[in-house]
Amino acid sequence: MKLRNDLILRHVGDDHIIVDPGQDMVDMSKVFNLNETAAWLWEELSDQEFDQVTIKNLLLERYEVTDSQANKDADYLLQYFVDQGLTE
Amino acid sequence: MPDNIQKLLNTKICYYNIAGLILELEYPKDIKIDTILPNFKDFSTLNVENKKTTCSICLYDKEPATVQDLGKILSNVSIVWGDQFRFYENDLHYITTIDSGDNLIPWKMVSKKDFSESKVYINTKELYTSSVLSWLIMVAFAQTSLLHKTILIHASTVEYNKEGYAFLGKSGTGKSTHSRLWLETFVGSRLLNDDNPAVRIHADNSIYIYGTPWSGKTPCYINRGVPLRALVRLQQAPENKFHWKTGMEAFIQILPSCSSIRWNKKLFNSMSNTTEELVKNLKIGYLQCLPNQDAAILCYNQINNYK
Repeated sequence: MKLRNDLILRHVGDDHIIVDPGQDMVDMSKVFNLNETAAWLWEELSDQEFDQVTIKNLLLERYEVTDSQANKDADYLLQYFVDQGLTE
Repeated sequence: MPDNIQKLLNTKICYYNIAGLILELEYPKDIKIDTILPNFKDFSTLNVENKKTTCSICLYDKEPATVQDLGKILSNVSIVWGDQFRFYENDLHYITTIDSGDNLIPWKMVSKKDFSESKVYINTKELYTSSVLSWLIMVAFAQTSLLHKTILIHASTVEYNKEGYAFLGKSGTGKSTHSRLWLETFVGSRLLNDDNPAVRIHADNSIYIYGTPWSGKTPCYINRGVPLRALVRLQQAPENKFHWKTGMEAFIQILPSCSSIRWNKKLFNSMSNTTEELVKNLKIGYLQCLPNQDAAILCYNQINNYK
Protein backbone atom coordinates (compact mmCIF):
# COMPACT_ATOMS: atom_id res chain seq x y z
CA MET A 1 0.00 0.00 0.00
CA LYS A 2 0.97 3.68 -0.11
CA LEU A 3 0.37 6.74 2.00
CA ARG A 4 -1.99 9.24 0.39
CA ASN A 5 0.18 11.68 -1.50
CA ASP A 6 -2.34 14.52 -1.23
CA LEU A 7 -1.71 14.83 2.51
CA ILE A 8 1.05 16.96 3.98
CA LEU A 9 2.72 16.34 7.32
CA ARG A 10 3.06 19.68 9.08
CA HIS A 11 5.17 20.60 12.07
CA VAL A 12 3.51 23.22 14.24
CA GLY A 13 5.21 23.91 17.54
CA ASP A 14 5.85 20.50 19.12
CA ASP A 15 3.08 18.84 17.15
CA HIS A 16 3.15 16.85 13.93
CA ILE A 17 -0.17 17.16 12.20
CA ILE A 18 -1.96 16.10 9.06
CA VAL A 19 -5.02 17.97 7.81
CA ASP A 20 -7.46 15.92 5.74
CA PRO A 21 -10.03 18.22 4.13
CA GLY A 22 -13.28 16.24 3.86
CA GLN A 23 -14.52 15.96 0.28
CA ASP A 24 -18.20 15.34 1.03
CA MET A 25 -21.01 17.89 0.86
CA VAL A 26 -20.89 18.23 4.62
CA ASP A 27 -17.56 19.36 6.03
CA MET A 28 -15.99 16.40 7.81
CA SER A 29 -12.44 17.75 7.72
CA LYS A 30 -10.06 16.13 10.19
CA VAL A 31 -6.79 17.07 11.84
CA PHE A 32 -4.55 14.19 12.99
CA ASN A 33 -1.88 14.58 15.63
CA LEU A 34 0.97 12.12 15.02
CA ASN A 35 3.44 11.19 17.72
CA GLU A 36 7.18 11.40 17.11
CA THR A 37 7.48 7.84 15.79
CA ALA A 38 4.43 8.02 13.53
CA ALA A 39 5.63 11.36 12.10
CA TRP A 40 9.09 9.95 11.40
CA LEU A 41 7.54 6.87 9.76
CA TRP A 42 5.27 9.09 7.65
CA GLU A 43 8.33 10.78 6.18
CA GLU A 44 10.19 7.48 5.65
CA LEU A 45 7.21 5.82 3.98
CA SER A 46 6.05 8.63 1.73
CA ASP A 47 6.22 8.02 -2.03
CA GLN A 48 6.83 4.30 -1.68
CA GLU A 49 4.98 1.02 -1.56
CA PHE A 50 5.13 -0.53 1.89
CA ASP A 51 3.66 -3.20 4.12
CA GLN A 52 3.86 -4.26 7.76
CA VAL A 53 7.35 -5.70 7.22
CA THR A 54 8.64 -2.38 5.86
CA ILE A 55 7.47 -0.63 9.01
CA LYS A 56 8.85 -3.33 11.28
CA ASN A 57 12.29 -3.13 9.64
CA LEU A 58 12.34 0.65 9.88
CA LEU A 59 11.52 0.44 13.58
CA LEU A 60 14.26 -2.16 14.15
CA GLU A 61 16.79 0.03 12.40
CA ARG A 62 15.98 3.13 14.39
CA TYR A 63 14.99 1.92 17.83
CA GLU A 64 16.51 -0.48 20.33
CA VAL A 65 13.54 -2.82 20.39
CA THR A 66 13.02 -6.55 20.32
CA ASP A 67 11.72 -8.22 17.21
CA SER A 68 8.37 -8.98 18.83
CA GLN A 69 7.96 -5.39 20.10
CA ALA A 70 8.74 -3.99 16.62
CA ASN A 71 6.26 -6.46 15.18
CA LYS A 72 3.54 -5.30 17.58
CA ASP A 73 4.26 -1.60 17.01
CA ALA A 74 4.29 -2.09 13.24
CA ASP A 75 0.88 -3.80 13.44
CA TYR A 76 -0.45 -0.91 15.49
CA LEU A 77 0.93 1.88 13.28
CA LEU A 78 -0.18 0.19 10.06
CA GLN A 79 -3.67 -0.25 11.50
CA TYR A 80 -3.72 3.40 12.58
CA PHE A 81 -2.81 4.69 9.10
CA VAL A 82 -5.42 2.41 7.48
CA ASP A 83 -8.19 3.08 10.03
CA GLN A 84 -7.79 6.84 9.72
CA GLY A 85 -8.00 6.67 5.93
CA LEU A 86 -4.47 7.93 5.42
CA THR A 87 -3.50 5.19 2.92
CA GLU A 88 -4.52 4.53 -0.65
CA MET B 1 -16.23 45.21 -36.27
CA PRO B 2 -14.08 42.55 -34.53
CA ASP B 3 -15.60 41.09 -31.37
CA ASN B 4 -12.86 42.35 -29.05
CA ILE B 5 -13.23 45.95 -30.24
CA GLN B 6 -16.99 45.66 -29.93
CA LYS B 7 -16.47 44.44 -26.35
CA LEU B 8 -14.12 47.30 -25.51
CA LEU B 9 -16.67 49.83 -26.65
CA ASN B 10 -19.42 48.28 -24.59
CA THR B 11 -17.62 47.60 -21.35
CA LYS B 12 -15.81 49.46 -18.61
CA ILE B 13 -13.04 48.29 -16.30
CA CYS B 14 -12.42 49.33 -12.73
CA TYR B 15 -9.84 48.25 -10.16
CA TYR B 16 -9.95 47.70 -6.43
CA ASN B 17 -7.05 47.30 -4.04
CA ILE B 18 -7.93 44.81 -1.28
CA ALA B 19 -5.20 43.80 1.20
CA GLY B 20 -2.70 45.11 -1.35
CA LEU B 21 -4.00 42.75 -4.05
CA ILE B 22 -5.60 44.02 -7.23
CA LEU B 23 -9.13 43.04 -8.18
CA GLU B 24 -10.16 43.88 -11.73
CA LEU B 25 -13.81 44.20 -12.57
CA GLU B 26 -15.09 44.47 -16.11
CA TYR B 27 -18.76 45.25 -16.66
CA PRO B 28 -21.26 46.37 -19.28
CA LYS B 29 -20.94 50.16 -19.46
CA ASP B 30 -24.56 50.97 -18.72
CA ILE B 31 -24.27 49.39 -15.27
CA LYS B 32 -23.82 51.81 -12.34
CA ILE B 33 -21.19 49.85 -10.49
CA ASP B 34 -20.83 52.30 -7.57
CA THR B 35 -24.54 51.96 -6.86
CA ILE B 36 -24.37 48.16 -6.86
CA LEU B 37 -21.15 47.92 -4.86
CA PRO B 38 -21.14 50.88 -2.43
CA ASN B 39 -19.07 48.79 0.01
CA PHE B 40 -16.20 48.73 -2.55
CA LYS B 41 -15.91 52.51 -2.80
CA ASP B 42 -13.02 52.93 -0.36
CA PHE B 43 -11.05 50.24 -2.22
CA SER B 44 -11.31 51.81 -5.65
CA THR B 45 -7.93 52.41 -7.28
CA LEU B 46 -6.67 53.58 -10.64
CA ASN B 47 -3.99 50.92 -10.67
CA VAL B 48 -1.54 53.55 -11.86
CA GLU B 49 1.40 51.41 -10.79
CA ASN B 50 0.15 48.77 -13.22
CA LYS B 51 0.27 46.13 -10.53
CA LYS B 52 -0.51 42.60 -11.61
CA THR B 53 -4.15 41.66 -11.25
CA THR B 54 -4.74 38.93 -8.67
CA CYS B 55 -8.42 38.40 -9.32
CA SER B 56 -10.35 39.38 -12.41
CA ILE B 57 -14.10 39.29 -12.68
CA CYS B 58 -16.09 39.96 -15.83
CA LEU B 59 -19.82 40.64 -15.68
CA TYR B 60 -22.19 39.59 -18.45
CA ASP B 61 -25.82 40.54 -18.68
CA LYS B 62 -26.72 37.42 -20.61
CA GLU B 63 -25.53 33.86 -20.76
CA PRO B 64 -23.91 32.46 -23.89
CA ALA B 65 -26.25 30.54 -26.21
CA THR B 66 -24.45 27.25 -25.59
CA VAL B 67 -25.41 25.92 -22.20
CA GLN B 68 -22.41 24.86 -20.17
CA ASP B 69 -22.21 21.48 -18.48
CA LEU B 70 -22.24 22.26 -14.76
CA GLY B 71 -20.44 19.04 -13.89
CA LYS B 72 -20.52 17.43 -10.47
CA ILE B 73 -22.27 19.10 -7.57
CA LEU B 74 -19.88 19.59 -4.64
CA SER B 75 -22.10 21.45 -2.22
CA ASN B 76 -25.57 22.84 -1.76
CA VAL B 77 -25.03 24.12 1.76
CA SER B 78 -24.53 27.82 2.44
CA ILE B 79 -25.04 29.69 5.67
CA VAL B 80 -25.74 32.90 3.76
CA TRP B 81 -27.91 31.64 0.91
CA GLY B 82 -29.45 28.44 2.30
CA ASP B 83 -30.85 26.20 -0.43
CA GLN B 84 -30.50 28.92 -3.12
CA PHE B 85 -26.82 28.02 -3.34
CA ARG B 86 -25.09 25.37 -5.49
CA PHE B 87 -21.41 24.75 -6.12
CA TYR B 88 -20.27 22.60 -9.04
CA GLU B 89 -17.02 21.42 -10.60
CA ASN B 90 -16.43 20.39 -14.19
CA ASP B 91 -13.18 19.71 -16.08
CA LEU B 92 -12.10 23.35 -16.30
CA HIS B 93 -14.17 25.37 -13.86
CA TYR B 94 -15.86 25.77 -10.55
CA ILE B 95 -19.39 27.06 -10.97
CA THR B 96 -21.25 28.88 -8.22
CA THR B 97 -24.97 29.49 -8.67
CA ILE B 98 -27.48 31.40 -6.56
CA ASP B 99 -31.14 30.95 -7.38
CA SER B 100 -32.81 34.28 -7.85
CA GLY B 101 -35.86 35.32 -5.91
CA ASP B 102 -38.08 35.32 -8.99
CA ASN B 103 -37.21 31.71 -9.86
CA LEU B 104 -36.11 32.75 -13.33
CA ILE B 105 -32.43 32.89 -14.19
CA PRO B 106 -30.04 32.04 -11.38
CA TRP B 107 -26.91 34.06 -10.79
CA LYS B 108 -23.94 32.11 -12.07
CA MET B 109 -20.22 32.50 -11.58
CA VAL B 110 -17.89 30.41 -13.74
CA SER B 111 -14.38 30.45 -12.27
CA LYS B 112 -11.04 29.06 -13.35
CA LYS B 113 -9.83 26.38 -10.94
CA ASP B 114 -7.61 28.84 -9.08
CA PHE B 115 -10.35 31.54 -9.14
CA SER B 116 -7.95 34.02 -10.75
CA GLU B 117 -10.55 34.68 -13.45
CA SER B 118 -14.31 34.46 -13.20
CA LYS B 119 -17.26 35.23 -15.43
CA VAL B 120 -20.38 36.32 -13.62
CA TYR B 121 -23.75 36.08 -15.37
CA ILE B 122 -25.89 38.58 -13.59
CA ASN B 123 -29.56 38.53 -12.89
CA THR B 124 -30.43 42.00 -14.23
CA LYS B 125 -33.66 42.16 -12.23
CA GLU B 126 -31.86 41.71 -8.92
CA LEU B 127 -28.69 43.58 -9.80
CA TYR B 128 -29.58 46.72 -7.85
CA THR B 129 -31.53 45.08 -5.06
CA SER B 130 -29.46 42.15 -3.84
CA SER B 131 -26.00 41.63 -2.42
CA VAL B 132 -25.29 38.56 -4.57
CA LEU B 133 -22.66 40.25 -6.74
CA SER B 134 -20.64 41.46 -3.76
CA TRP B 135 -20.83 37.97 -2.26
CA LEU B 136 -19.75 36.22 -5.47
CA ILE B 137 -16.76 38.55 -5.76
CA MET B 138 -15.87 37.67 -2.19
CA VAL B 139 -15.99 33.95 -3.00
CA ALA B 140 -13.59 34.40 -5.93
CA PHE B 141 -11.27 36.81 -4.13
CA ALA B 142 -11.14 34.69 -0.96
CA GLN B 143 -10.00 31.64 -2.92
CA THR B 144 -7.47 33.14 -5.30
CA SER B 145 -5.89 35.35 -2.61
CA LEU B 146 -4.91 32.13 -0.77
CA LEU B 147 -2.20 31.75 -3.43
CA HIS B 148 -0.78 35.09 -2.23
CA LYS B 149 -0.46 34.20 1.46
CA THR B 150 -3.70 36.01 2.17
CA ILE B 151 -6.65 34.52 4.03
CA LEU B 152 -10.10 35.99 4.35
CA ILE B 153 -10.88 35.12 7.91
CA HIS B 154 -14.25 35.05 9.63
CA ALA B 155 -13.54 37.47 12.46
CA SER B 156 -14.38 40.80 14.04
CA THR B 157 -11.36 43.07 14.18
CA VAL B 158 -10.45 46.06 16.31
CA GLU B 159 -7.60 48.45 15.62
CA TYR B 160 -5.90 49.90 18.68
CA ASN B 161 -2.54 51.73 18.86
CA LYS B 162 -2.06 51.01 15.16
CA GLU B 163 -2.31 47.25 15.65
CA GLY B 164 -5.05 44.75 14.86
CA TYR B 165 -6.78 42.34 17.23
CA ALA B 166 -8.95 39.71 15.56
CA PHE B 167 -11.69 37.82 17.37
CA LEU B 168 -12.81 34.48 15.94
CA GLY B 169 -15.73 32.31 16.89
CA LYS B 170 -18.77 30.49 15.67
CA SER B 171 -21.75 32.53 14.55
CA GLY B 172 -23.57 33.86 17.58
CA THR B 173 -20.57 33.61 19.91
CA GLY B 174 -20.39 37.36 20.35
CA LYS B 175 -17.46 38.43 18.17
CA SER B 176 -19.09 41.76 17.35
CA THR B 177 -20.11 42.21 20.97
CA HIS B 178 -16.55 41.65 22.14
CA SER B 179 -15.27 44.19 19.61
CA ARG B 180 -17.85 46.70 20.81
CA LEU B 181 -16.63 46.17 24.38
CA TRP B 182 -13.10 47.05 23.25
CA LEU B 183 -14.38 50.22 21.58
CA GLU B 184 -16.15 51.18 24.80
CA THR B 185 -13.17 50.32 27.00
CA PHE B 186 -10.14 51.55 25.08
CA VAL B 187 -10.17 55.15 23.99
CA GLY B 188 -8.78 55.48 20.48
CA SER B 189 -9.70 51.97 19.39
CA ARG B 190 -11.90 51.52 16.35
CA LEU B 191 -13.54 48.77 14.37
CA LEU B 192 -11.52 47.72 11.32
CA ASN B 193 -13.92 45.05 10.05
CA ASP B 194 -16.74 43.11 11.66
CA ASP B 195 -16.90 39.88 9.65
CA ASN B 196 -14.34 39.15 6.93
CA PRO B 197 -11.01 40.92 7.26
CA ALA B 198 -7.99 39.67 5.29
CA VAL B 199 -4.87 38.38 7.02
CA ARG B 200 -1.77 38.60 4.87
CA ILE B 201 1.82 37.47 5.37
CA HIS B 202 4.11 39.77 3.38
CA ALA B 203 7.42 38.94 1.71
CA ASP B 204 9.29 40.29 4.77
CA ASN B 205 7.23 37.89 6.96
CA SER B 206 5.28 40.72 8.60
CA ILE B 207 1.67 39.78 9.31
CA TYR B 208 -0.99 42.37 8.54
CA ILE B 209 -4.75 42.47 8.86
CA TYR B 210 -6.81 44.50 6.39
CA GLY B 211 -10.31 45.83 6.21
CA THR B 212 -12.25 44.54 3.17
CA PRO B 213 -15.52 45.35 1.37
CA TRP B 214 -17.14 42.49 3.30
CA SER B 215 -18.14 43.12 6.89
CA GLY B 216 -21.30 41.10 7.55
CA LYS B 217 -24.20 43.15 8.88
CA THR B 218 -22.01 46.06 9.99
CA PRO B 219 -21.24 48.61 7.28
CA CYS B 220 -17.54 48.98 8.06
CA TYR B 221 -15.62 48.94 4.80
CA ILE B 222 -12.21 50.42 5.51
CA ASN B 223 -9.30 50.21 3.10
CA ARG B 224 -6.54 50.00 5.67
CA GLY B 225 -4.07 47.45 6.98
CA VAL B 226 -2.31 47.27 10.33
CA PRO B 227 0.13 44.77 11.86
CA LEU B 228 -1.83 41.91 13.40
CA ARG B 229 -1.11 41.65 17.13
CA ALA B 230 -3.10 38.51 17.98
CA LEU B 231 -5.86 36.14 16.96
CA VAL B 232 -8.23 35.17 19.76
CA ARG B 233 -10.98 32.57 19.52
CA LEU B 234 -13.96 33.42 21.71
CA GLN B 235 -16.23 31.05 23.55
CA GLN B 236 -19.16 32.06 25.74
CA ALA B 237 -18.63 31.02 29.35
CA PRO B 238 -19.89 31.77 32.88
CA GLU B 239 -16.57 33.45 33.74
CA ASN B 240 -13.71 35.19 31.95
CA LYS B 241 -10.65 33.05 31.37
CA PHE B 242 -7.80 33.40 28.89
CA HIS B 243 -5.51 30.65 27.54
CA TRP B 244 -2.66 30.73 25.05
CA LYS B 245 -2.65 28.07 22.36
CA THR B 246 0.35 26.58 20.59
CA GLY B 247 1.03 23.83 18.07
CA MET B 248 -1.91 21.80 16.84
CA GLU B 249 -4.32 23.50 19.22
CA ALA B 250 -3.43 26.91 17.82
CA PHE B 251 -3.79 25.56 14.28
CA ILE B 252 -7.31 24.30 14.93
CA GLN B 253 -8.34 27.58 16.52
CA ILE B 254 -7.72 29.26 13.16
CA LEU B 255 -8.58 26.61 10.57
CA PRO B 256 -12.40 26.63 10.91
CA SER B 257 -12.48 30.41 10.44
CA CYS B 258 -10.57 30.44 7.14
CA SER B 259 -12.42 30.82 3.86
CA SER B 260 -11.05 28.00 1.74
CA ILE B 261 -12.91 25.46 -0.33
CA ARG B 262 -11.97 21.93 0.66
CA TRP B 263 -12.16 20.41 -2.81
CA ASN B 264 -9.16 22.12 -4.33
CA LYS B 265 -5.89 20.65 -3.05
CA LYS B 266 -3.75 23.55 -4.21
CA LEU B 267 -5.91 26.22 -2.58
CA PHE B 268 -6.47 24.23 0.60
CA ASN B 269 -2.77 23.43 1.03
CA SER B 270 -1.88 27.03 0.35
CA MET B 271 -4.30 28.10 3.09
CA SER B 272 -2.86 25.48 5.47
CA ASN B 273 0.70 26.64 4.72
CA THR B 274 -0.25 30.20 5.62
CA THR B 275 -2.04 29.01 8.76
CA GLU B 276 1.06 27.04 9.73
CA GLU B 277 3.13 30.22 9.42
CA LEU B 278 0.58 32.17 11.45
CA VAL B 279 0.83 29.61 14.25
CA LYS B 280 4.62 29.94 14.25
CA ASN B 281 4.75 33.73 14.26
CA LEU B 282 1.58 35.00 15.87
CA LYS B 283 -0.01 34.95 19.29
CA ILE B 284 -3.06 32.70 19.27
CA GLY B 285 -5.37 32.95 22.24
CA TYR B 286 -8.57 31.36 23.47
CA LEU B 287 -10.89 33.48 25.56
CA GLN B 288 -13.78 32.08 27.52
CA CYS B 289 -15.83 35.13 28.21
CA LEU B 290 -18.86 36.98 29.42
CA PRO B 291 -20.13 39.95 27.42
CA ASN B 292 -18.59 42.49 29.81
CA GLN B 293 -15.75 45.02 29.91
CA ASP B 294 -13.69 42.78 32.20
CA ALA B 295 -13.43 40.33 29.30
CA ALA B 296 -12.01 43.03 27.02
CA ILE B 297 -9.54 44.18 29.69
CA LEU B 298 -8.43 40.62 30.45
CA CYS B 299 -7.93 39.92 26.75
CA TYR B 300 -5.93 43.11 26.16
CA ASN B 301 -3.74 42.60 29.23
CA GLN B 302 -2.99 38.98 28.42
CA ILE B 303 -1.92 39.86 24.90
CA ASN B 304 0.22 42.79 25.92
CA ASN B 305 1.91 41.14 28.91
CA TYR B 306 2.71 38.14 26.80
CA LYS B 307 6.31 36.98 27.18
